[in-house]
Amino acid sequence: MPGKIALVIAPLIVWVGLFLYLLWIDRQVRELRK
Amino acid sequence: MALKLLLGVWMAAVVVAAFLYAPAAEGFRQSRIIFFHVPNAMVAVVAFIVAMIYAVQYLRGKRLVDDAKSAISAELGLLFAVLATVTGLVFARVEWGSWWNWDARESSILMLLLVYAAYFALRAAVDGAERRAALSAVYAIAAIAPMVLFTFVVSAQMSELHPKGTLIGRHALRQEYRVVLYSAMAGFLGLYLWLFRTRTALAEVRMKLRRY
Repeated sequence: MPGKIALVIAPLIVWVGLFLYLLWIDRQVRELRK
Repeated sequence: MALKLLLGVWMAAVVVAAFLYAPAAEGFRQSRIIFFHVPNAMVAVVAFIVAMIYAVQYLRGKRLVDDAKSAISAELGLLFAVLATVTGLVFARVEWGSWWNWDARESSILMLLLVYAAYFALRAAVDGAERRAALSAVYAIAAIAPMVLFTFVVSAQMSELHPKGTLIGRHALRQEYRVVLYSAMAGFLGLYLWLFRTRTALAEVRMKLRRY
């Protein structure tokens, strides 16, 4: 079970990191557009 | 903004469901990678089709923004195709014991990667925005023929290692698998749309800056 939890957490961290990075880029582009 | 946050939560839920809700599939040692591998391949196909549609749009209207959109979609298609290949490599190593087996689908995606890599080589080699746009548009339209041939004919008919009829039919995946897989497909499609729109906005800003 602990292995399984780690298996879920690792991709979750990757996704959340990527998502926040995308949000940041998105904001930069929208500001540029103004 | 609300849609983006929804996508963030949606994909997180897909990750959790992939590991905690869907059970290990029969006949596979590690089957959960399909929740990421299959949607990536599907989104790549969608992106290449969108690249072709904008290429047609460019040839009809000669607006450079359509050329930019076509190139952006081809670029994202290439990105998702690479992701499908990498996840496939891992899957192949676990399931069939070797990273690469020259299965029909593997050979097909390799050809597709080369076809679309050549598209960017062409773009880089041509000077003059209009000439580049016209040549790229013709290439993006022509590239659809090998894309369809490799994806839907060669792979579907000749693949010996890849399972067939997993989505529909008698040997389809069980309910839990389909729920997670379709949710992942929707999520990856949303991710593609978001990336496409952001890249397009950036391309428009670049075009404006060049004009002034």
